Amino acid sequence: MMRIKRAVAALVAAGLMAGGLAACSGSDGGDSSQVTLTYWKLTDTNPATKKAWSETMAGFEKKYPNIKLKVRDYSTDQLKQSLRTSLGSSAAPDVYWSWGGLGIGGEYVKAGGSLDLTKYYKKYGWEKEIPASSMSTVKQYGGYNGVPSGYSGAGVYYRKDLFAKAGITTEPKTYDELVADAQKLSDSGTTPITFGGTVNWHLMRWLDNVLMTECGSKTYNALISLKADWGTTPCVTKAYDEFAMWSQKYLVKGWASLSDSEADNLFETGKAAMVIEGSWYPTVLQGDKVDLSNVGLFLFPTGTGELYGDTSNNYVTRTSKHPDQAAQFLDYLMSPEAQKINLDVAGTRPVNTSVKIDPAKQDPLNQTWNGLIADAKGLYEFNDQALSLTDVTEYWRIQNAVASGDIKPGDAGAQFQKFLKNNK
Amino acid sequence: MTTSTPAPRRRRARRSLFLRALPFLAPALVAYVVFVIAPMVESIRLSFFSWNGFQGVPQEFVGIDNYVKIFTEDPVFWRAFGNSVIWVVLSLIFPLGISLLLAVALNRKLFGRNLFRSVFYIPGVLASIAVANMWRWIYNPNYGIGQSLGKALDLPWLADVQWLGDQNIALYSVFVAFIWQSVGTNMVLFLAGLQGVQKEHLEAARIDGANAWQVFRNVTLPALRPTMVVVTVLTFIGSIKVFDLIVGMTNGGPAQQTQVLALWSYTQSLVNHQYGTGNAIAVVLLVITFAIVIPYMAWNARQEDR
Repeated sequence: MMRIKRAVAALVAAGLMAGGLAACSGSDGGDSSQVTLTYWKLTDTNPATKKAWSETMAGFEKKYPNIKLKVRDYSTDQLKQSLRTSLGSSAAPDVYWSWGGLGIGGEYVKAGGSLDLTKYYKKYGWEKEIPASSMSTVKQYGGYNGVPSGYSGAGVYYRKDLFAKAGITTEPKTYDELVADAQKLSDSGTTPITFGGTVNWHLMRWLDNVLMTECGSKTYNALISLKADWGTTPCVTKAYDEFAMWSQKYLVKGWASLSDSEADNLFETGKAAMVIEGSWYPTVLQGDKVDLSNVGLFLFPTGTGELYGDTSNNYVTRTSKHPDQAAQFLDYLMSPEAQKINLDVAGTRPVNTSVKIDPAKQDPLNQTWNGLIADAKGLYEFNDQALSLTDVTEYWRIQNAVASGDIKPGDAGAQFQKFLKNNK
Repeated sequence: MTTSTPAPRRRRARRSLFLRALPFLAPALVAYVVFVIAPMVESIRLSFFSWNGFQGVPQEFVGIDNYVKIFTEDPVFWRAFGNSVIWVVLSLIFPLGISLLLAVALNRKLFGRNLFRSVFYIPGVLASIAVANMWRWIYNPNYGIGQSLGKALDLPWLADVQWLGDQNIALYSVFVAFIWQSVGTNMVLFLAGLQGVQKEHLEAARIDGANAWQVFRNVTLPALRPTMVVVTVLTFIGSIKVFDLIVGMTNGGPAQQTQVLALWSYTQSLVNHQYGTGNAIAVVLLVITFAIVIPYMAWNARQEDR
């Protein structure tokens, strides 16, 4: 009996010791140099980008065997919601991906969720490798918040067969030429432009560009940063006048009840001549088996030479316990090795200027994008990223009301300004 | 000689019964408090604060500012309020009326009665988002039924109707989908109520020379009153918080013309991250609901006591 009691006591003691040792060891597997980095990003829905990401992760873990990556994928709205409720707390990830505009990524920075990376920019020299247009969303808050992860341009895709049918032989170089071409398309029985109204951001692309055309870059930026008055700036009324004209004369019928994919489908099946889509669109067209030789591309002729599009960044959270390792991760993502993986496997444009694209491996539309991006004098973002979420909800309401004739163009700017004033 | 229990003894007996039942009620009560009462209280509390949802950003007490804002500055609130009222009124007339007629029609013996009952009931068990998706295709301006019929019958005006894109009719187009989805559920409740109508009363009325309408008005309807109250209150509660169909079919558009209170509250809180404003709208919805539901519960309790 005594022997059994001693054996049980020994077992209990051994168990307690083992438990104590396990409790003392960190979550990183008991090795003090092992670090686990958490990274939140959007779910890859495209098999090519999924593969590219998988190879990138493997490359990083091979280069830094002491750092384990724990990646969590989210849908668009879930990512926004999860970041909002976790940033500033211990539940936040070490690194997160976000769109760079003031309305989304900017909100996280302003709420103190992002770590200033100035010392890491000095250490790794990232700024030398990144185009100036991509750096704008990093430096706009003072210091350096985030490292660019990608950017997209958006332009007017057009159907060459419908343009030929309407007797249009060259791409419009000015806004007046664009309007004239729309009339020719309409006269030939073709719907000039197609956008889905159930997703407000689709039709928004046309309004954003008309606004830039009428106001020019300086006034446009002042309006978007709420430094100019929407109610009294003359170009705003002109822009809404033009937008109302486009919506009522040239926009596809039934736009208000179409989704973006339904509207794009009309373009792809030859029922509409033009749509504004991003530099990702050639991949979509190829997936939908559209003959790319029948599709052309030009930038909306705003007269400013700037590129319309968006940027995205990877940010380190202010509460991260491993900022140095997080910076190593961002440095790897910026490296030629990782950028080449994404370019070769997924066709993603590199943000590292030392990684060159081989046009011979690209389709004609992506080759066109190379030139348009290289020649761009700056970037103006989609307004649903530039404006705050509350402001953009009202921007869309007024946009749709002008398009359907419910609000007069002359009243649109004043209504928006009144809303901005009430919601300061 | 009759005897009755004095009131104080009755109250003591009820209290003793309640205390004995309390340990068994406790788990459900705790769950109810945690998952229903606590979020409600938190929502009311948040409606007096300004907060953008960030953990690290403190909530700022603003008193009734959020309520002032929604009543006087919000360009969408009164549209959402009006649409919610329209939706409730129409729900109390059309789906309720149609389901009563269907119940009366399918309460008699007729060939295929069970099949018809199933056909009308099945839409009620479909997920609202699935119903929304289906009806969006029916209303599609390029491929939908209206467009196809318009072309087939050479009626260009029918082909041109923008069922979900025309702000004047979009809400009513969504409402038609709601009728299709909801009549079956109310029909089942009315059918259950009709089983309680005594056959002897119906026969007696007919023997006395009453026609079908007189029998329905003077015998069936009064017997259906308790069921009618239940269906009316349930219809009110279901309609005041309409959300899924609107989200799935129009998302409040075009230009917020089909916006309703529940969706606008959600949009303000979870899309725009204006939690104070969003919860203020939710409280308005709660007050309206309580204004109907509490009198109903009081009436129901009095009926049970009788």
